[in-house]
Amino acid sequence: MIAVVLASLMQLLLVLAISPLISGAIKTLKARLQMRRGPDVFQPYRNLFKLLRKGMVIPNTASWIFTAAPFVVFSTAALVGLLIPLISADAPLSLFGGVLAIIYLLGLGRFFLALGGLDAGTPFGGLGSSREMTISSLAEPAMMLAIFTVALTAGSTNLTEVAHSAIGQSWRFFAPSQMLACAALFIVLIAETGRIPVDNPATHLELTMIHEAMILEYSGPYLALIEWGAAVKQLILMTLLVNTFFPFGLSTQWEPASVALGLGSYLTKMLLLSIVIVVVETTNAKMRLFRVPELLAVAFVLAALALISTFLF
Amino acid sequence: MNPLVDPQLGERVINLMAAMVLVLQIGMVTQRWLMANVRIFAAQSFLLAAIAATIAYFNNAPHIYVAAALTLVLKGIVLPVLLTRLVAKVGIRQEIEPLVNVPVSILISAGLTLLGYLVAESFYHPAGLGIASTLGHNTLAVAISLFLIGFFMMMNRRKAITQVLALLSLENGLFLAAIALTYGMPLVVELGVFFDLLVGTMALGILVYRIRETFDSMDVSKLRKLRG
Repeated sequence: MIAVVLASLMQLLLVLAISPLISGAIKTLKARLQMRRGPDVFQPYRNLFKLLRKGMVIPNTASWIFTAAPFVVFSTAALVGLLIPLISADAPLSLFGGVLAIIYLLGLGRFFLALGGLDAGTPFGGLGSSREMTISSLAEPAMMLAIFTVALTAGSTNLTEVAHSAIGQSWRFFAPSQMLACAALFIVLIAETGRIPVDNPATHLELTMIHEAMILEYSGPYLALIEWGAAVKQLILMTLLVNTFFPFGLSTQWEPASVALGLGSYLTKMLLLSIVIVVVETTNAKMRLFRVPELLAVAFVLAALALISTFLF
Repeated sequence: MNPLVDPQLGERVINLMAAMVLVLQIGMVTQRWLMANVRIFAAQSFLLAAIAATIAYFNNAPHIYVAAALTLVLKGIVLPVLLTRLVAKVGIRQEIEPLVNVPVSILISAGLTLLGYLVAESFYHPAGLGIASTLGHNTLAVAISLFLIGFFMMMNRRKAITQVLALLSLENGLFLAAIALTYGMPLVVELGVFFDLLVGTMALGILVYRIRETFDSMDVSKLRKLRG
């Protein structure tokens, strides 16, 4: 019992502490690749602290939903952070739920974020919310199919068991179904974290913005919570991708050496995935909003093919 | 056991690359830019050459290396360069306008892939001829899907040059099927096919150019106006 609490606390701290770092690393790497100096890696932390100390402006039209949304977004993201294997193959709260819990907790956070965007009463908020829901309703089936492919191979939707079964099979990644599912999940990752072919994370002054349009009316600590929650969500999706498809180095027991190895390999994998994201963001132009469903249709088809090919082989 | 001679590893690598070829084919269906299409075709051909080389390596079949090298040089380099020049020469609009819109095309491609897998399933006899039958299983499915999607792309596109590309990717499927099932056809046949392809593409290139000259457009549906 105490071990579970301790493990949960440690993982919670780790998730909350690392997530702004990953965002910062992506920003810095992107700037470097584009021959800019860019902010340093710790800039997101400074932004969060700055926002947490500031006052807030709340629209007159806003109801309690406007206030509740940041807390729901942040807490669902943090809770999901406890459901996934991060550096250890055993997720601290894995008994609470498997993949479906993760998808729908993230869905709950997104639902409240969209409500918060609508609640502020500005046209931009509604616009952002409607776009977010459109895109996520297309991304979600692809994500579920991709994760079910992995779950089918492992025989369980519990990510701890998925990770354990994956550690045993070192060649699993060579299976075509895994590669297709991985590609699908990567597209979903790009769409869900608002990266460039779908949304531009670097601006909130574009008519085509999605995430930024929803949170335009938020300020101060609420904005900090939402931004932090978004960073945690990004970390979760990236972790899901690297740890279910490339489970190298996940520690299986609580020993300093194996935990250190787990942490090291986890950070390396995240850095590599960040580099891939940076390259994708830099080499692509933002898509027109009406083209986004095409991209997500590709993800869906890849995931569906992955699922089919696990049944056929 | 040395992993580099373990046939199981070879089979997995080949399966993986075959899946990537399939992903590229679906990518070609979704891609609207002509030049991007040419590049995807080049990447697909590179992968195909890699598959052929892997099969040659793990099955000690040196004659397949020749086919791999030919694929690499001809389909991976010469044909893409040729097509790039052709695109530059006729100066057509880069954007491809498919008859069926892209999301539906993707779903149709997925359906065709499923069909490919089902057809390949009927060829599969696990108790049969050892590794050859299991190797053929997945790659054959991918190969059948490739040429079904290739056919679909040919029907789905209006301009002659994009149809040439679709034809070439269809041929990639045939090559994959041949190499996966039989470990390569006799070299004479391979050479014949490659030569055919090269000449075919050149002839089609000239044809494309003539269509462009005559009709001021590459839309093949305009050719119907020739009828009396």
